[in-house]
Amino acid sequence: MAGLARYIAIRALLIIPTILILYTVVFIILRVIPGNPVEAVLGTHYVPPEVIKEEMHRLGLDKPLYVQYFDYLWRVLHGDFGESMVVRGRPIAADLKYRIPATIELITAGFLVSVLLGIGTGTLAAVKRGSRLDYAMRIYGIATYTLFIPWVGTLLILLFSVHLHWLPAGGRLSASVSLHRITGIYTLDALITGNWAAFADALKHLVLPAFTLGLVLSGPYTRLVRTNLSDVLQSDFIRMYRSRGLPEGKVLRYALRNALIPVVTYMGLQIAILMGGAVLTETTFSWPGLGSYLYQRISMRDYMAIQGTIVVFAFIVGIVSLLVDITYALIDPRIRY
Amino acid sequence: MVMRGRGRRAASTGAIVASIVIIIIIIAGVAAYYYHGKAAKTTTTSPTATATGTPTGATSKTQTTSSTPAKTSTSPATSPAATTAKGKGVVVIGVTDKITDLDPANAYDFFTWEVLSNVMSGLVKYDPDTGKIVGDLATSWEVKDNGKVWIFHLRHDARFADGTPCTAQNVVWSIERVMRIKGDPSWLVTQFVQNVTALDKYTVKFVLKTPASYFLALVATPPYFPVSPHYPPDKIASDATWGGCGPYMIAKWVRDEVLVLKPNPYYYGPKPKNTEVVIKFYSSSEALRAALESGDIDIAWRTLNPDDIKAFQHMPGYKVIEVPGLFIRYVVIKVDAPPTNNKLVRQALAAAVNRPEIAELVYHGTVEPLYSLVPKGLWSHIDAFKKYGDGNIQLARKLLQEAGYSETHKLHVVLWYTPTHYGSTEAQLAAVLKQEWEKTGMIEVTVRSSEWAQFVNQLRSGQFMLSLLGWYPDYLDPDDYLTPFLMSTANGWTGTGYKNATVDKLLQEAEVLTNQTARAQIYVKVQQILAEDVPYIPLVQGKLYLVTSSKVVSLKVSPLMFLIYSSIQVQS
Repeated sequence: MAGLARYIAIRALLIIPTILILYTVVFIILRVIPGNPVEAVLGTHYVPPEVIKEEMHRLGLDKPLYVQYFDYLWRVLHGDFGESMVVRGRPIAADLKYRIPATIELITAGFLVSVLLGIGTGTLAAVKRGSRLDYAMRIYGIATYTLFIPWVGTLLILLFSVHLHWLPAGGRLSASVSLHRITGIYTLDALITGNWAAFADALKHLVLPAFTLGLVLSGPYTRLVRTNLSDVLQSDFIRMYRSRGLPEGKVLRYALRNALIPVVTYMGLQIAILMGGAVLTETTFSWPGLGSYLYQRISMRDYMAIQGTIVVFAFIVGIVSLLVDITYALIDPRIRY
Repeated sequence: MVMRGRGRRAASTGAIVASIVIIIIIIAGVAAYYYHGKAAKTTTTSPTATATGTPTGATSKTQTTSSTPAKTSTSPATSPAATTAKGKGVVVIGVTDKITDLDPANAYDFFTWEVLSNVMSGLVKYDPDTGKIVGDLATSWEVKDNGKVWIFHLRHDARFADGTPCTAQNVVWSIERVMRIKGDPSWLVTQFVQNVTALDKYTVKFVLKTPASYFLALVATPPYFPVSPHYPPDKIASDATWGGCGPYMIAKWVRDEVLVLKPNPYYYGPKPKNTEVVIKFYSSSEALRAALESGDIDIAWRTLNPDDIKAFQHMPGYKVIEVPGLFIRYVVIKVDAPPTNNKLVRQALAAAVNRPEIAELVYHGTVEPLYSLVPKGLWSHIDAFKKYGDGNIQLARKLLQEAGYSETHKLHVVLWYTPTHYGSTEAQLAAVLKQEWEKTGMIEVTVRSSEWAQFVNQLRSGQFMLSLLGWYPDYLDPDDYLTPFLMSTANGWTGTGYKNATVDKLLQEAEVLTNQTARAQIYVKVQQILAEDVPYIPLVQGKLYLVTSSKVVSLKVSPLMFLIYSSIQVQS
C-alpha cells in the first residue's frame, strides 16, 4: 500500500510542472502578441492619455514582466486568481466558479455521447467485418474526426432549432425557468431539487451541444473498438464459447468486455481533446462555460482571465489523468513506479 | 488472461452500465418532453378549438408602427412565437453584445449604456418622438454665469426600486462617485464639471470648468445618472443589481447569460407596456439569427449581419425595423508620413471612393453614404465631401498626376481593417475600397488585417497608413463628431497625426458658445476644412436594424439608438 501511496503522490506532484509549463507558455504568448486589455476595452473611444496610463498602472501592467509573472504565480498559490482586467472589480475566481460546472456538464455529456456512438459503430463494424456496413462505419470513424465543430453545430441548429423548432438554438436554460443553483450542473440541480420542468429544459439545451461534441470525438472510439473487437472475436476463448454453443449475443458481450480495455485507456487520454472541443462547442452554442469565456476574453486581452482559465484547464486535465492512473494502479498490480 | 482481466472488467462494466442508464434517462426525458410539448402545441394552434383557442392566436395580422414591408405570416402553426417563453407581456431580446459593468462609473459601451438608460434615469433625456432634450428627473433648469453654472430643479416623486426617494443628494453623490472612481467614462464628467452641489433636497447645482454649450447632452449620459445608495462609494460594482430610479429594476442577472428586468414599482413615469424584459446573450450573429428563427427570442437586436437582415425582410412572420443611425464609418489617413502626408494624394483617395457602391455591395443598402464626419440628421451637417464626387476616377487621376504619380509609377498604400469588431463584412469593405482605388490605374493597395486588441494598439501608436474605423457618439452633439477627430490635443487615439491650428481654434470657440446658430456656422467651416485637408474619408452612416417576431406589436428607439424597453408591446 505504501508503494501505491508513493505512486499517487508522484503522479499528483506531476500536475504542478504541467500547470507551470502551460502558464509560462500562455504568459509569454500574451505578452508577445500586440495589444493590451486597456486599449482593447477603450478601443476607439476618446480617452485622455493620463487615464490610460493610470489604468495600466492600476492593473500592474507597467511593472517589469518577471514581476508580473511571479506576482501572478504567488497569488494563484494562495488561491487568488486576481481581478478581471476588462470587467473592473470582477474576481476571476467568481467567473471560473460559475463557468466550471457548465463546462463539466457539457464535456461529461459530450463524453458519454462520444463513447456510446463510438462503441456502437465500432461493434457494428467488427461484427459485420468486411461488409458494406463495416466500410460505412470505418468511413464514419474517419469522417467524423475531420468535422469542424462550428460547422456541424450550425447545421444541427438549422435543422433542429430553426426548421423543426424542437430544440433551443443556444444557452443553458430558458429565462422563464427558475432553478435553484446547487452544483451549477443544471441537469443535476434539477434532479436534486426534483424540478422536472427545469430538468427537461436544461436537457433540451444540452442535447445539441453534447451531440455535436460527442459526434466529432467519437471517431477514434469507432476505430479502436472495431480493431480490438475483431481481434478478440477471433481469439481462442471466443472460439471455445462458440463451439460450446453459447448464443451469439452472449459471446459478443464477453468479447466486448475484453475489447473495451484499451478503450478505457483512451477515455483518459481524451480529456484534453474534450476541453479543446468544448471551446468551439461553447462558442457555437452560446454555452456559458470556460471555453466561451476563454474565447471571449482572449479577444479582449484579459490577461488575468486567460491565465486563470488555462490554469483551471491544466488542473482539470491533470486531475482526470491522475484518476485514470490511479484506477490503473488499482486494477493492474503490475503498474508501480 | 481471464484472471488478470477480472478487476478491469468489473471497472469497465460498471462504467458502461452507469453510462447506459444515464443515456436511457436522457432519451426518456427528451421523449417525454417532446410528447408533452407536441400535445400542448396542437391544442393551442388548432383552428377548430373553440373554448380554449384565444382569438389572437388564430389571426396573426399585426398592427405595426414600422414602415417595413413585413408580410404577415401564412399560418399560425409556423409562427415561431409558439415556442417562446410563457407569461403574458414578457419580451425576450437577443444580443451579441456583452454587458461590461452594471455601474455608470465604469460602463463605456453602447449596449451597457442602453441597459443603464432603461434601469436608471438622468436629469434630462432625449424625447424619442422629437429628438429634443427634455426633463426627466429634472422638471426645469436654469443657466447662469454665461453657461458656467447650471441649476436643475428635480421632481419630488422619484424613487429607487426599493422605495427610497431619489433626491438631489443622490444625484450629487452619484456624480461625485464617478469623479472619485475615475473609471473609463469619468472624463465625461471631470473634463467639464468643477463641482456639483445640492442646494436643497430637490435642487442640484453644477459649476463648470469652462462653459460647455452641449452640457445638457452630457447630462443625458449614464455617468450623470443617480445610482442607488447601495452602490459602494469608491469602488466599481460590475454586477450591481440595485439600479437607479428608472422604469425598470434588475430582477435577475447572470453574466453573459441572461438579464431579467421587471418594472420598477415606484417609477414616476408611465408604466412600461410589458411585464418583463429578458435579455439573452449570444456568441455570434449567426447564433442570434438562429435564436430568432427558432423562437427563443422575440427581438434580435445588435447585431445581425446585413445578409441576415435582408433575408428577414423577405421572410413571413418577421418585422424588420430600421433605426436611423448615428454610427459612422470612415477611413483614417496618417497625415504625418509619406506618401499620405501629401494633401493631393489624400484628396485623390477621397475622390476615387464610391460610397453608393459600398452601401450596396457591402451592406445591401443597410447603410447610407456619408459625406462628412457629422452624420446626416444632426444639425450643422453638410455634405462636405460631395465636391469630390463618387468614384470620380478622372479627378483622382488628375490629382495623382499632380502629386507625381503615373501608371508606371504607382502610389502604394496599405489599408488596415479588423475582421470581427465591425461585423463580418469588414473584409469585404476593404476589398471594395481596394478595387475602387485601383480603378484609377495609379494606385496599388495592399490590404492587411489584425484582430481587435492588436488593431487598436497599432492604431493608437500611429502604425497605419490607412485604416477602417467606426464611431458611435458619447453625447449627441456635432462637437463629439469633430473634436475627438480634428482637435490636435484630442485626436491621438486615431493615429492620424492631424494638426491644424485654425481648426483647433474654431472648435474651442464653438465649445463655449451658447448660440446654436453661431456654433453651427463654425462647425460648417470646420467640415469644409476637413474636406479640404482629408485626414479622414467618411464612408457611410450606419443604420441599426431590429428584427422582431410578429409577437411584437410596437416599440420605440431613442435618438441615441437605445431601445426603449418600456415601449415594447407584445401580443398576449
